[in-house]
Formats: sequence, structure tokens, C-alpha cells
Amino acid sequence: MSDEPEDDELEHELRQLAARQDPVPPELVQAATEALSWRNIDAELAELVFDSLLNTDEATLVRSSPGRRLVSFQTPELTIDVEVTTTASGRDVMGQITPAQRATVEIRHRAGVVSTDADEQGSFRSAALQTGPMSLRVRPAAGDPRPPIVTDWLSI
Amino acid sequence: MADEDPGWLVTAAAGGDQAAWHALVERFSGLIWAITRSYRLSRADAADVSQTTWLRLAEHIDKIENADRVGAWLATATRRECLQSIRAKARTVPIEDMTWFDADRDDDPTEAEVLRAESEREEEHRARLLWQAVGRLPTRCRQLIRILMAEPPPRYAEVAAALDLPVGSIGPTRARCLQRLRRELGECI
Repeated sequence: MSDEPEDDELEHELRQLAARQDPVPPELVQAATEALSWRNIDAELAELVFDSLLNTDEATLVRSSPGRRLVSFQTPELTIDVEVTTTASGRDVMGQITPAQRATVEIRHRAGVVSTDADEQGSFRSAALQTGPMSLRVRPAAGDPRPPIVTDWLSI
Repeated sequence: MADEDPGWLVTAAAGGDQAAWHALVERFSGLIWAITRSYRLSRADAADVSQTTWLRLAEHIDKIENADRVGAWLATATRRECLQSIRAKARTVPIEDMTWFDADRDDDPTEAEVLRAESEREEEHRARLLWQAVGRLPTRCRQLIRILMAEPPPRYAEVAAALDLPVGSIGPTRARCLQRLRRELGECI
């Protein structure tokens, strides 16, 4: 399939049009540039393995409801289940670490970092978070030699 | 520059090279923006999707299997975030991305300015018709064309990843959609 020259011309015209009519907002480029500094080199990554917004089978629909989103992150050793609820003041987060363990959970989001504790059942919660990207950083209890865990970023 | 393999930028950024990271941002923020707009996200939602995608790349950058294909990786991640954003809202924002913003005009122009403005108005007229014609295209064509409008021009593999289509279908679909766009233009000139 060879490109027709007039197609290339029209595409070029369209590209110039988009640059004038709907350019990339500069603050978006700024935020992207700063993203590398959020990286945790020493931490283990817990990947997103389930998201009720993407898995729309019947079992999921029963458990989730509008305004309530269920996500799971996993490393080979543990699972972090998170429920995100939409409220008038932003997003509430309730989580469960399995196997159950005490830990410090840092919720990284647009307004900064909110720190909360997981109890001996592995449960933690935080309220009134800002919408936007969110990731959890889970630090094991003092004396535990394991590295911290960070989850994939999620837009809440 | 746009055709350069971004693989070495990924390797350098994974090693903490902020300049290499910035080069990746320069290369692909236009693509990510174009994808979010092709899914008709509002500016606020598009900003969330873009930022989340870059944060994800930062966290995954030393784990990407095929660093040369980082553009397709970003396009796939952006598409997924767009779908999540749409489902979270359970609605899309109506054609905001195809509205036309009039350039400011002088109220009291000189004669030379009138002559110049006349040719500018013709150009602007053509631009407005073109933009509106893109907005009237069937969804798949409108999405494809909005993504192709990214600066620098995206590779077909990246366009394919953004729309979850086979890479071999992008060339023929582009030709068909541009043809369709010409027809739309012809009908209103």
C-alpha cells in the first residue's frame, strides 16, 4: 500500500490544524516530565491484575456498583485489594493486604502523599482523596527486611 | 528525529537520565494527547489519563520488553486508561473536541490589514470546514484521523495500538477515511 501524495498533503494540513485548534496543553507536558521523579527504584512493583471497570462479567457486576470500583494488585508474594468509592468530597479508599500483615501504606496522589497504617488484619483506609492518578507504596512493619512494594498507577 | 528508534532513550531514562526522559515526553506527549482527544475525553479527564500513563511508564521503564516499541506500549496504556475513564463516568463528553475557537480579530483594521485579513479569512474558512468535516466522520474514521494528526506523526504500529486494530489495516483505513473526509468537504464547499 503506497501513500498517495494528495493523502500526505491532506494529512499534513490536518496536523497543522490540530496544532492550532487543539494543541497539547503545556501543563500536561510539565506533569509528564516530572513523572520520572515518582519512580521507586528500590521497590517491588505490584501489577494491576483486576479492575472492575474493565472486567464486566456477571460476577463482577454483582460485586461492584456505580461509584464503587474494585481493583487488585499482585506480586508473587502478596495481593492488595482496593475498593475506591466516589463521595462528595473526592475518593475514599479501603484496602486489604493478603496475607494479612501490618504495614505502612502511603497513598501517592495529586495532592501529595497520605500515610495510613494497615492493621494486623491487613486492612487500611483513607478518605477524601483528590481525583487523578493514584498509587500505593506499602512499607513492611519495622524490622521486616523485605523491600517496599509500589502498585501500578491508576486514575481514580 | 521522529523516525529515530526511541529504544536507547528508554534505556537511558531507566538509568535515571532526565534528559532522555524529557526526549521521550517530547516525542510522545502529542500522541497521547491525540489519543485521549480521539476518545473525546474532556481536557480534565485527558490530563488525568496522560499523567497516569506517564507515571505508569516511569514505574515500568526498566521492565519494558521491547524498548523500541515504547510508543506502542504508551498507546496501548493510553487506550486502556481512556476506556476506564469513559466507563468510570459512563458517559462521553459531547463533541467538545471538535468545537471551533475563533481567533481574536481587530475591531478597527487598517487597509493593509483588511487585505491580509481577507486571505486569512479564506484560510480560516477552509480550516473551519475541515475541522467540522472531521467531526462529522464515522467514529472509527474520526478517531483514526485525530490520532494521525499528532505531532510528530505517529507510526502505524502506534496508531494500531491506540485503536486496538491490526497494524496492516491502518494504511488502507487511512486512505479510505481521507477519501471520506474529502467527500464530506466536497459536500459543503
